[in-house]
Amino acid sequence: METRIGLEIHCQLTGVGTKLFCSCKCDYRGKEPNSNVCPTCSGLPGTLPLLNRKAVEFAGMISLALGCRIPDEIAFYRKNYFYPDLPKNFQLTQYNAYGVTSIGVDGRLSYGDSKSAGIRRVQLEEDPGRLVYETGSMETSSYALVDYNRAGVPLVEVVTEPDFDDPKDVRLFLDKIASIIEHLGVCDTKLEGSVRCDANVSVGGGSRVEIKNVSSFADVEKALRYEITRQRTMTSRDMQVRSETRHWDDARKLTKESRTKEEEQDYRYFPDPDVPTVVLGGDFVALTRASMPELPDARKERFVTRFGLSGHVAQVLIDNKELADFFESALKTYESPIEIANWIVTDLMGFIDERQKEERSLLLGIKVGPEHIAELARMVDRGMINRSTAKQILGQIVQSGEMPSQAAKKMRASIIDDENELLKVIDSVFKSEKAAVTDAKRNPNAANFLLGKVMQATKGLADPKAALELLQKRLKEAS
Amino acid sequence: MEVWRLGAADVAAGIRSREFSAEEYIQQLLERIERVEPKVNAFVTVQGKEALEKARLVDRRVKDGEQVGPLAGVAVSIKDNICVKGIKTTCASKMLENYLPPYDATVVRRLNEAGAILIGKANLDEFAMGSTTEFSRDGPTRNPWDIGRVPGGSSGGSAASVAALECAVSLGSDTGGSVRCPASFCSVVGLKPTYGLVSRYGLVSYANSLEQIGPVGRTVSDVASVMNAIAGYDESDNTTAPGKPSYSMNGKSGGLRVGLVKEFVQGADPQVEKITQGAANMLADQGCRCEEVSLPSVEFALASYYTIATAEASSNLARYDNVRYGFDMSPEGYEWNSYFAKVRSNFGDEVKRRIIVGSYVLSSGYYGKYYLKAQQVRSLLRKELKSLFKTHDVLVGPTMPILPFKIGEKVDDPLKMYLVDVDTVVANLAGVPAISVPAGFADGLPVGLQVMADQFEEQKMLNAASLFESAAGVQRSPEL
Amino acid sequence: MAVTRDQVRHLAWLSRIELTDAELDRYTGQIEEIIKYLDTLDTVPLLQEQEPITTRKKFSDLRDDTPAEFDSESLGTTYRKDGFVKGPRMT
Repeated sequence: METRIGLEIHCQLTGVGTKLFCSCKCDYRGKEPNSNVCPTCSGLPGTLPLLNRKAVEFAGMISLALGCRIPDEIAFYRKNYFYPDLPKNFQLTQYNAYGVTSIGVDGRLSYGDSKSAGIRRVQLEEDPGRLVYETGSMETSSYALVDYNRAGVPLVEVVTEPDFDDPKDVRLFLDKIASIIEHLGVCDTKLEGSVRCDANVSVGGGSRVEIKNVSSFADVEKALRYEITRQRTMTSRDMQVRSETRHWDDARKLTKESRTKEEEQDYRYFPDPDVPTVVLGGDFVALTRASMPELPDARKERFVTRFGLSGHVAQVLIDNKELADFFESALKTYESPIEIANWIVTDLMGFIDERQKEERSLLLGIKVGPEHIAELARMVDRGMINRSTAKQILGQIVQSGEMPSQAAKKMRASIIDDENELLKVIDSVFKSEKAAVTDAKRNPNAANFLLGKVMQATKGLADPKAALELLQKRLKEAS
Repeated sequence: MEVWRLGAADVAAGIRSREFSAEEYIQQLLERIERVEPKVNAFVTVQGKEALEKARLVDRRVKDGEQVGPLAGVAVSIKDNICVKGIKTTCASKMLENYLPPYDATVVRRLNEAGAILIGKANLDEFAMGSTTEFSRDGPTRNPWDIGRVPGGSSGGSAASVAALECAVSLGSDTGGSVRCPASFCSVVGLKPTYGLVSRYGLVSYANSLEQIGPVGRTVSDVASVMNAIAGYDESDNTTAPGKPSYSMNGKSGGLRVGLVKEFVQGADPQVEKITQGAANMLADQGCRCEEVSLPSVEFALASYYTIATAEASSNLARYDNVRYGFDMSPEGYEWNSYFAKVRSNFGDEVKRRIIVGSYVLSSGYYGKYYLKAQQVRSLLRKELKSLFKTHDVLVGPTMPILPFKIGEKVDDPLKMYLVDVDTVVANLAGVPAISVPAGFADGLPVGLQVMADQFEEQKMLNAASLFESAAGVQRSPEL
Repeated sequence: MAVTRDQVRHLAWLSRIELTDAELDRYTGQIEEIIKYLDTLDTVPLLQEQEPITTRKKFSDLRDDTPAEFDSESLGTTYRKDGFVKGPRMT
């Protein structure tokens, strides 16, 4: 059955200093409730919105990065509805059913393996405040607690065409979007709630269902899978799928009917008279493009052509700006790109759990920095340690944060190369592996099996060279 | 010495030259207010103690030879929909019964810098919606010329306080004529600036694409001096135009080309028409070239105004849900939709009607039929006005089509009430400046002449107004 | 355009204004009259080229992104808890 998925991505412009329409700080996290407000973002009578120039600049960068066309002028409309987290009981947004006033339209973003999706529009709008419940649940609290610290924080909304048919593709696309906004420096994706995604999905040409309240990009894929299955099941049983809004229940991992009567809404859009029509000017696009940081695709290209990385490895690095930055930083200390890239992509990534990967805070809690990896790579390149030792060292230093050279020293210090000690272990192994010993007497190569047992018994601390020598001596003696 | 009768210019001069003290002036005004307020009811709040303190401060600075502003000591009343920090700003509504703004409107700040003294907050129609100041929770303001009649609105308190000699000047707000209408009905001067000339920061929004704060005074000169204090770019209001204008009363006034708008004259009562014609003749006698002109789109002006104004109002007033500020009503026990709906049932009739009409015209499916068409009318009017202003310096006509009517006469018939705005809404729709100047009396009731000029041509408009004011010699005060 | 009592009730709900039956009765007729008057806009001739009335501002003249703190209390309500504003319940 044909599946059509469209996305509505909201990205907080955590990179700007102030809110979209007033000079309150944009950074509201962790502050005392209602300590980051002013008359304007509180919706006091007589206050007027003052559009933030940097927010417009950032929204322009996002539009260009997504291949959009930027119009000569942009304007803001009012989306009128009542809700306790909305100080003015209308939201200032660029959405407009009557013409083009958003900052970006008709874009296209390629992702994955020569796939691409259309970008319908990119627009600026303001975030509402936050509702909190003392009992933790909306249903059981006898009053709501409202915090306006977040009210007025700038959001960029990216709306795609319904060009997706597979949740896996959606995931790839969202990863790319995240990488782009990280590289542009407009939004710190690691902050909780800084990027949100709602999805629209229909199956077999049926009704379109909107899924809201998905808290992370990773959950979007899960929510879509659930919803597609739900719709397919209903259709196969000849049940009507209703066109509605459903909420993702993260705890129970399912979508459920929304409690708010969203079909009743008539938003009565009209142009806001207090925010002037902004004339971007002929050189806005050129100036914005010129001041834009390097985009992930360009950076990947550079990694491949300049550093000789494989496409796959380069892709993993740029998928997450943190990693790409880590890589280039390590190169500054020791220029061995392929070696360092592999250490990062293959080995370091092995120490990061899935959850952290989903939340895009890859390096949280990891105590190694670019200098560590650079030194590790250098030590291996110069034959100071072999690869398997290096891997062991990495395992230790991600917890301890020591430099590899220090860890190696410690390791050497605990290496067992004392003859008597080793002989004790070897004798013990010979006792338990009589068959292998017989084999080894005839076939010298089989000694490696016994060596392995010795290494096992010493938890890898036996000096392999010394152990092998002693082992072979013993074998000779024993015959 | 009866200094309470003096206009702003004379007060400022007198205080500066120490002919009399600001304290004495304010004291006399406060006594005057006490005497006439029971009849006029122009004030929501009187700031007696604070005004006297400010007056003493002015006197001290004058005595010490310090620099004082051009309006130092002048008593001003401010419409109660303009925010003054720490003083109740109620908009004549239950919804803002307890509201104390934590900030000053820009115009208030500028008046303070000029040295003016706030003597009280003036009464208005609730949220500035009305033409008679009858829709006020604090009772109607009465016309000082006949207290059984309306003073006009919505800035009725502003005009009445100036006419009744309770203060020298006032600040009102004009969305569809709300400064000019009461100025005309009370025989004082009222000016609506070009849209974007005066900051709206601190003006409680009713229809924000149409409204401007405007001064009221007993002479064109006083109104001009208030404009000099308040007009000009404000970084807190992105709809203000760049620059800071300065108006003088020495403008060249000979040879003005005046257009008498026939649609305004035709719609007026015979007595009003007669006085208007007389005014045009007076101007001609002063060397102006007067001729009849036509502004055809006046036909659609009221429908356009009431579409846009109600639409914007329905959205601007949505914020009054009593959660962040308002009046005392505990939210506990209520579900939020019920709380909002109950709280907002405390708006007055006229406000409720306009919010509902506004929601209607903006609702899905009707946007093109009403709102877009209404915007089209604005463009049409502007086009026609631009064309007329190519060949005329100013356009004139009666400010109001009728004489001040009895209190209660139109209060139950909203549409009849709306029709009195026919001459004034044009200036708001097109964003051009307009001023009402006393033109005479009919049956003892005031008639005003409205003068309009092109955008940002306030100086031309003031020149014509001043010329007419001298020629007409209508200045007098009501018996109270 | 006829305006019914139900329409007025719905619009009042959309605007979150509770109306008594008496108010519904009184307003419906008045609002219908007003809307009928606004219907005269149907006869406005269409302009070929329309310059919409709007304020314009250059991108470079927009507000600088410099933080500033508001020094006093913005919120006037006394219904607070631990800094939060206490609002009506949500369900």
